[in-house]
Amino acid sequence: MEQYDVLIVGSGGAGMRAALEVGRRDGLKVALITKIFPTRSATAMAQGGVNGCLNNVASEDTIETHTFDTVKGSDYLGDQDAIEFFCQRCPEGILEMDHMGAPFSRTEEGKIAQRNFGGQSYPRTCYSADKTGHVILHTTYEQCLKEGVHFLQEWYLLDLVKVDGKIGGAVVWNMKEGRVETIKAKAIVLSTGGAGRIFWIRTTNPFLSTGDGMAAAFRAGCALKDMEMVQFHPTGLGKTGILMSEAVRGEGGYLLNKDGERFMKRYAPNKMELASRDVVAKAIEIEIAEGRGFGSGLDAYVVADLRHLGKEVIVEKLHGIRDLAITFEHKDPLIEPIPIRPTCHYIMGGIDVVDYKTSATIVPGLFSSGEASCVSIHGANRLGGNSLADGVVFGKVSGAGAADYAEANEQVNCDAELQEAAKNWETRFVEVTQRKTGRPVTEIRDEMANTMWHKVGIFRDEKGMIEALAEIERLQEEYKTCFVGDTSREYNMAFVNYIEVGSMLTVAKTVIMGALYRKESRGAHVREDYPNRDDEHFLNHSLVSLNANGQYELSERPVVFTKYEPQERTY
Amino acid sequence: MRQITYHIHRFNDGKSFVQTYTFDYEEDRTILWGLQKIKETQDPTLTFVAACRSAVCGACSVKVNGQAMLGCESKIDDVTARFGSDEIEIAPIGNFRVIRDLVVDWEAKVDRLKTVAPWIHLKQDVEDENGVIRQSAADFKKFVMGTECILCGCCASECNKLTAGQDDFLEPYVYTKANRFVLDSRDGNKMAHVKPSYENGIWNCVHCMNCISRCPKHIKPMHDIANLRKEATQAGFENKGTRHAKAFKDDLKATGRLNEVSMSLKSDGIVDSAKQAVYATRLMLHSKINPLELVIPHKPVKGIDGVRKIIKKAEEAGK
Amino acid sequence: MKYAFFPGCVLESAAKEDYLATVAVAQKLGIELIELPGWTCCGASHVQDIEPAVTLATNARNIALAEEMNLDILTVCNTCTLMLREAKHEIDENEATKTQVNACLAEADMEYKGTSDITHLLWVLIRDYGLDKLKEQVVKPLTGLRVAEYYGCHILRPQEEMGFEDFQLPTSLADIISAIGATPIDFSRKLDCCGFHAVYPAHDSVMRMTGSINQDAVNEGADCVVTPCPLCQMQLDMFQKEAKAVVNGTGDMPILHMSQLIGLALGIAPKDMGMPHRHLTSTAALEKFI
Repeated sequence: MEQYDVLIVGSGGAGMRAALEVGRRDGLKVALITKIFPTRSATAMAQGGVNGCLNNVASEDTIETHTFDTVKGSDYLGDQDAIEFFCQRCPEGILEMDHMGAPFSRTEEGKIAQRNFGGQSYPRTCYSADKTGHVILHTTYEQCLKEGVHFLQEWYLLDLVKVDGKIGGAVVWNMKEGRVETIKAKAIVLSTGGAGRIFWIRTTNPFLSTGDGMAAAFRAGCALKDMEMVQFHPTGLGKTGILMSEAVRGEGGYLLNKDGERFMKRYAPNKMELASRDVVAKAIEIEIAEGRGFGSGLDAYVVADLRHLGKEVIVEKLHGIRDLAITFEHKDPLIEPIPIRPTCHYIMGGIDVVDYKTSATIVPGLFSSGEASCVSIHGANRLGGNSLADGVVFGKVSGAGAADYAEANEQVNCDAELQEAAKNWETRFVEVTQRKTGRPVTEIRDEMANTMWHKVGIFRDEKGMIEALAEIERLQEEYKTCFVGDTSREYNMAFVNYIEVGSMLTVAKTVIMGALYRKESRGAHVREDYPNRDDEHFLNHSLVSLNANGQYELSERPVVFTKYEPQERTY
Repeated sequence: MRQITYHIHRFNDGKSFVQTYTFDYEEDRTILWGLQKIKETQDPTLTFVAACRSAVCGACSVKVNGQAMLGCESKIDDVTARFGSDEIEIAPIGNFRVIRDLVVDWEAKVDRLKTVAPWIHLKQDVEDENGVIRQSAADFKKFVMGTECILCGCCASECNKLTAGQDDFLEPYVYTKANRFVLDSRDGNKMAHVKPSYENGIWNCVHCMNCISRCPKHIKPMHDIANLRKEATQAGFENKGTRHAKAFKDDLKATGRLNEVSMSLKSDGIVDSAKQAVYATRLMLHSKINPLELVIPHKPVKGIDGVRKIIKKAEEAGK
Repeated sequence: MKYAFFPGCVLESAAKEDYLATVAVAQKLGIELIELPGWTCCGASHVQDIEPAVTLATNARNIALAEEMNLDILTVCNTCTLMLREAKHEIDENEATKTQVNACLAEADMEYKGTSDITHLLWVLIRDYGLDKLKEQVVKPLTGLRVAEYYGCHILRPQEEMGFEDFQLPTSLADIISAIGATPIDFSRKLDCCGFHAVYPAHDSVMRMTGSINQDAVNEGADCVVTPCPLCQMQLDMFQKEAKAVVNGTGDMPILHMSQLIGLALGIAPKDMGMPHRHLTSTAALEKFI
């Protein structure tokens, strides 16, 4: 049995930042568990940038403007006190990254360069060419190596363990050795990332984004908040769904339909391509639905044309994007337009954080940050550049929150509960992996993805979603007896993947429930039967929790307003 | 129906074996796609790691027909066309401990990465009067190439030196990391990276160019090793490698051509050269070396004055 | 066909046999080689490491010498080829670099213009001379001779500098071997490194590398190894005895430079190409194939 003061789960930008924060406190023992080598995390895929009001390019920018942009971007579903807190801390978070050695692109004066990004009033998105996430992840990892952060690599979270409602520890699957491990901890931070893989291939996310932390928190008594808020990034590569950064639009690219028209002028006449993501994604899908896209059906697309930007801009600032387009779409943006289509990119919803100043959840000792969490600062739609900032800011906040909690509280006595949980999981491993019959779990996963994409995707309605709910519940039943097919203990990825499917089914169900609850269209959540925003009834967060009978229950909580009254959201 | 066949080098429960799988060809698919197809439709026990599938995370590197590449980026069409066969050999990347099938142990390599202190050592006076770090765009360009590294291990897989011995050499990406900081104008302690690089094998690189040939991000680790060698030599570190290189340079300046006998002596040093006495005798007997070259100086090449002037000017430029 | 000949340092000394063979072969084939007057050492990747600006300038001078003769440079050493081509590539890519280099060359009243290319006899025979024509010149086809084709790193990699053929699937050496009547064995270690460039600092590893190459050539039934590089030849031949002990080797393997093997097929006497005298590992066994 391992014992730590703080246990971090997840090795992305937020998780490693949290570990660093705890590691800097004298006298606290911290460990980070991750299901894969840290630099493989989804943070590495973030291309565009990290937002903060540094005034390096736009002297008129203010923290208040960043705050308002984020509030408006969230379509007024974000909690304004949390957003103010967040925007205040973005500049120092970025400067800290610089001090950690992150290689930022520079202005003429040698300051961190900032560019325009969707939904931002001023250029405040700091970047490193088009691989900002990659450099932030690697820089944070380097710092973890420097500080000697204790990594438990390829240790995969199975369940959290509580006693009398308080966090006591976790049971974990040791992937290399093939056995259950138990960890006692006073505080646990869940930074396990998103769950885009509920759409399986129709996402920019890596195979890792399966909502494991969200599902574990859900089982441990946290609500999942605003789960219906799924962001469909407008510019995924047509064939593969791979992300083409918003920088494509930020640097001045055009979106064209099959008539060669810059169609955004009909949807966002002022901001055009730089309207916020949900506006652009919807616009593209409408163009396609109304027959102005190339191709047809699931293979339809519009194009991003960068040719007018010139060789220097494309080769210097967008070379990663260019590599992706050439490698995965076989098109060179220097000479031709690139097929693109919306793809699931981010989940604004997540583990319900009840105190944004500490990243605490409702379960004492349990914290959450990064994409896995919902504070909410992103509300109904996340602005580009705010996710890396979220990880940087709340990674630190959650680390500090967990550290403070660990300093002020005793370790909960949970030896018996941990052993029991471990035993159950060990039995489950044997039983599940040795099954010779059952529906293959990958089939269950594919059916879930199909249901989610077609009925709970960019456009939703009551009928489709009710069907979807029934389908997901049926799949959850089938999951109980599904076939996995690998009995080995050593590095059993089939077993890990099986658990991931379970997590995804849980998350998928909460997405549908939130979407059914929200009888309006707001931000990324679009309902064809309720096409307008309804501020009278729905300035609330949806909350899905597990009740005492094991059923998923819906409730709501009002959005926190400070200064900004909801307005019509146009760009 | 056209079929693709993978011959996969597997390892499980202490046993190594090659297993063959065949699946239907589909246009425009990747090596990784093939592995996933096999795992999902034929054999759930086939084990490999993948994450981003877009060549930024480095998780899916495998050996395809004997050379490492990213599975997610390598198209089956390209491989079959290039090798003229629909049968493809897949193996885990080389020079890593294999855990199972195509999964290798990256955790075991972390300490080796730490050898070169792979984090910024901020200069004392790096901040301006407002506490802000400044770095010119030109300085940013100098080191940014090294930050492209995704730790995929392809460079290490075919590294001929690592294959011959890992105790006195580090993975090429480690040297790339070290040089990334050496070239970063914000880093004030080059030696924190150069010294451990020097002590851990930069002079043992055999220049086989495999790392440059394999890197999916077009990084040139061998050039990073070269720069570390330059920094180490300028800092006054000395070993057989530095002496060997310096001997070349001296000869270039003196006569324009190599004097092998004296170079060997300079590189090895007197003691080791003496140990080679039997060998040297053999060489002499086969007319490979002329001991007189030690005493009688080589004739400088035609135009040696010009050569020396050119070298002098280049030395100044190089500073 | 006329080329500015860049022999490289070892051809003047430890690999003199390759010089003799190359000159004799070129004469037989009607390829005119005019040695570059006052050529200097290419740097051999060692000076490149510690003083890159110096070798860039001295190699620019080497190329400028050929430009003055209005000829391309021909070499028979892999590393010389790579070093000269790398220099040319670096200068041609970047105007600022070219200006800097010419500032150095101006000190000797010289100028690099970029009009001469650098090639290796291996490429010339295939691309410019032609394998069919080479076949016609063969007077003693090396029938029955089993040859391990061993390329040597620098004639293939990095692909972007060398680019003559696919660096993983080269065929040039095998094609030459076939054209002169011998049999290439599709050597399993044809792409491996001999370790020459680190034989001083990484002695143990390099002995293992050298020993493995030679032993596998033995295991795979080769009568000899052929290489387009005198450095590889020296490494595999001169260190063969010591390396053999390190890998518990079971046989000896004659190591020939490509020029020597071709020379045998063209009827040039072995002793005129330093064989077997200048080889530490006897090449006498090959005489029965001539």
